[in-house]
This record gives sequence, C-alpha cells and structure tokens, in this order.
Amino acid sequence: MNEEELIREIVALRKTLREKKDTLRRLQRDKHVVQECGLTNEEIGRYSRQILVPEIGVKGQLKLKKSSVLIVGAGGLGCPAALYLVGAGIGHIGIIDYDEVEINNLHRQLLHSEESIRVSKVVSATAALTRLNSSVNITPYKMQLDSSNALGIVKQYDVILDATDNVATRYLLNDACVLTGKPLVSGSALKFEGQLTVYNYRGPCYRCVFPTPPPPETVTNCGDGGVLGAAVGTIGVLQALEAMKIILEMSGVLAGRLLLFDGTETLFRNVKLRPKNQNCLICGDNSTIDKLIDYEEFCRAKANDKNPGLKLLKESERLSVKEYHKFADSSATSHVLIDVRSHEEFEICKLPNSINVPFTQISKPNGHALVEQVIRSMRNGDTRIDVIVICRRGNDSQKAVKILKGLINDEAVNIRDVIGGIHAWAKNVDPTFPIY
Amino acid sequence: MMDGESRDSLVKILFFAKARELSGLKESRAKLPANISYQSLLDTIIEKFGLESIRDSVILSLNEEYLAANGTLNLSDQDEIAVIPPLSGG
Repeated sequence: MNEEELIREIVALRKTLREKKDTLRRLQRDKHVVQECGLTNEEIGRYSRQILVPEIGVKGQLKLKKSSVLIVGAGGLGCPAALYLVGAGIGHIGIIDYDEVEINNLHRQLLHSEESIRVSKVVSATAALTRLNSSVNITPYKMQLDSSNALGIVKQYDVILDATDNVATRYLLNDACVLTGKPLVSGSALKFEGQLTVYNYRGPCYRCVFPTPPPPETVTNCGDGGVLGAAVGTIGVLQALEAMKIILEMSGVLAGRLLLFDGTETLFRNVKLRPKNQNCLICGDNSTIDKLIDYEEFCRAKANDKNPGLKLLKESERLSVKEYHKFADSSATSHVLIDVRSHEEFEICKLPNSINVPFTQISKPNGHALVEQVIRSMRNGDTRIDVIVICRRGNDSQKAVKILKGLINDEAVNIRDVIGGIHAWAKNVDPTFPIY
Repeated sequence: MMDGESRDSLVKILFFAKARELSGLKESRAKLPANISYQSLLDTIIEKFGLESIRDSVILSLNEEYLAANGTLNLSDQDEIAVIPPLSGG
C-alpha cells in the first residue's frame, strides 16, 4: 500500500469512527431527571458556574438552551466562537464552511487538529464540538454560502455570526440578515488587529457604515498578510459573548459601536457608529434591494480568500518555472531575478541569486527607482538584460511587470514574470522547497 | 468668528487596518484648520498619508465618534481622528 492510499484509508476510517461515536453518544443520552426549574440535573451540574452569574441564572440558561446560532466560517473566528457557544449550552449551532482543513490553519483554528487535515472543516468542527458538549445539536453545512441558499439557512437561526474571511460574503450575510431581520455579530481580524460590532440590531447595518466595498486590490487576506491566532481568537471569543448577550436580552450589546482591537498594544477602542442610514440601500426607508444580489460582482472579488489566479500578462511576457530553470542555467545574456514577496516571505525561502524588492515598495510612487538601481548594478552599460519577476503564486509578479513596463522605457530591458511563482517552483522543479 | 476660521488645531491621527499598512504609521500629528468640513478633512488626510486607494471605503471618527460625511467640524488641539477601513479577514 503506498502513502497516498494509506492516507486515504486513514481519513475514511476516522470518518467511520466519528460516525459510530456520534451514534453511541445519542444512544447513551440517559434519561435525565428534570427539576421543577426546567433544567436537568446534568445541565445544572454542567452549567452551574454560569447559572450562578446573576445576569444568567436559570432563566438565562433556559434561553440559551432554546436558542440557535449560525456560525458562518469555521476558521480563526468561528472556531473559538463555536467553542464558547457550545460550552455555554446554546441549543442549536449551525456551522457553514465549504473548505477543508489545511496545515496552515492549525495555528489559529483550534477546533481542528493534525488528524483533521484534508477533512471538511465543518465535519472536523462538529466532531470537536460534540466531544466538548454532546447535548448541543450541531448542524454542519459543507457549502459555500451564496445568494441562492443564504436566506433559507439564515432564517432558521436566532443570531448570525459573521466569521468569514472575505468582503463578498460579508455583504451577502449583511443583506441576508437585514432581509430576514436577524442580528449579525460581525468579527474580522488580520495580523495583530481585530474589529467587532453587531449589525442590524438596534442600530446600523454593514451597508449603513460601509456602503462601498473596498477596491479588491486594497483587501489583504490572512493568507497574504498573516494573522496571529491569539488576536483573531480574541475577536472570535467576543463574538460568542455578544451572541449570548443578544440571546439573554441584555442591554450592553455592542450595536452602534465598533470595537477596534490592537493586539500589539493590547488596546481596545470603542468607536460610536452612525445611527441607521435612512437612505441605506438595504435597511433604509426606501430600500431598493429586496432580494440578494450577485456579491462577487458587487465587490469585484471572489467570495473566498484563495489564490485569485490573475491573468494580466500575455504569454510572451511569462516564463514557466521549468523555462526559467533552463534559462537561468544556460542564458548567455545577463539577467536579474527580482522577488517581489515581502521581506518576511523572502526570509522563509528564496531562489538562488534572487533580489528582494517587495511589491508594496514597487507599487509606491517612485518605487521603480529601486528596481532601476538593481538593473543598473547588474548591467554593463546599455547591454541587453532580462528582468525576471517572481512572487509566491504568480499574481503580484504580473502586477509588478505591468508597473515596471510602464515606467522603464528601455527596449533592451526585457521584463517577464514566472508563472505560478515559487509555489510552481516547489511543485515542478524543486520538491524540497517549502510551500506556505 | 474671523478668529475661529483662521485658527489651526494640532490633532492626533490614528490609522487602522489598511490605512496603517498604506501610511506605514500607527499614528501621526497634523495641523488642520480648526473649522473644517468633513470633505476637506478627508481630502487632507487621504492626500497627506497616501490613502487614495481606500478613500471611498474608510470611515473617520473624531474622539471615538463616527463622523458624518456632510458635517463641519470644530477641531481642538489634542483631538483624536481615526481613519478606519473595514477589516475583512478572519
């Protein structure tokens, strides 16, 4: 049996084991003794430390038990949020995610473990949450939330958590919550920072505050910008807190206020937001949106945080990694290899003889000056020179070539990029190269 | 009235998320006219700190209160203006 077959078999066996354990748990759910207060002895024991809190009490615990929360995204926000909601005894939790667990998720998405790699995130999350509290009814949805299915799912839940990773799904969820009248606990995070607020609940909706989606090229996702587990986790835990406060009908819900968390200084700022916008396209007095629209079109971006697979250059302006490999070994003319990844990425791994000029610098006004300087230093007067640009996956390298071509007007400078970047290099040329 | 219009205030400007990335700053100080419309305030900050690409998708706050786009402000020294783009990762 080869490695691939063995991995597949282990994944299948784990799935069977999970299913059998679930069945057993259901069978073992003993006949509980119910007290006059409405809680079983098991519930009283399990939740006693929060029932003792005056804001909760038996009434609050019963409210939590009767309530349902939909968590959209089983990632860095959704995992900690789900842990606390399931721990607290919310009656029904729905979790939506189309994706599968990858090893680069594990530093922050703590419901998943090494055993869950390649397993669907919602299956992995459901298994972990059931281990924590088997009395909570958990519905996994392995799907991409979109305009065709969002309303049908959202309307079944009391509170919705936006634990997603992209702009298009954020607008979709906002509109779905406004149309179905559900409170939306919206969390987001990147690097050491986080934001949190509750939309469509005694205050504005997402569109009231941010009517225009950010230009896609200005949106940094966790896969590119990085994110700290404890920072995004802080926001996820607070999303669980706000959801519970809404269910408990408490007065201090973070609606009409935006929490800005800066983990570098452990600062929490609360910015008072605008009231509901009377002219809001979805929740205003004369709203023009009465059904869900195409959010990928509205945001000009895909509803995920995956590789956008840009195609900006002509074929003649690009080299495959194998072509570059051959070219670098045999080229008679001199060439420069410019790596436009961030300094942090360059530090992880790099191709021999590459020079690091981050894309963020190239895209700045006068950013090409640096590249021109590099070219000058590698070139003998006006001789022909090949400039090859490489990045992680072949998107920024194309943008960089576009910028450089616009700024360097020299026929003897031939600027091209490497298709698929260092990911392709790892896959097709050097299998010992790391992929991140 | 005349005095008020020509006076400048030295305010603190805080940058979050993409605004922090683009400006390369967490905070800065700027001398701004004490009486300033929201639009000129936005224009000044966007231009001064290289934030053109996110002009239409940020909110501004003054002393932790959202600023409405049609207002006129009366700035004092020590006032704190925040430039807040939405974060969308998670």
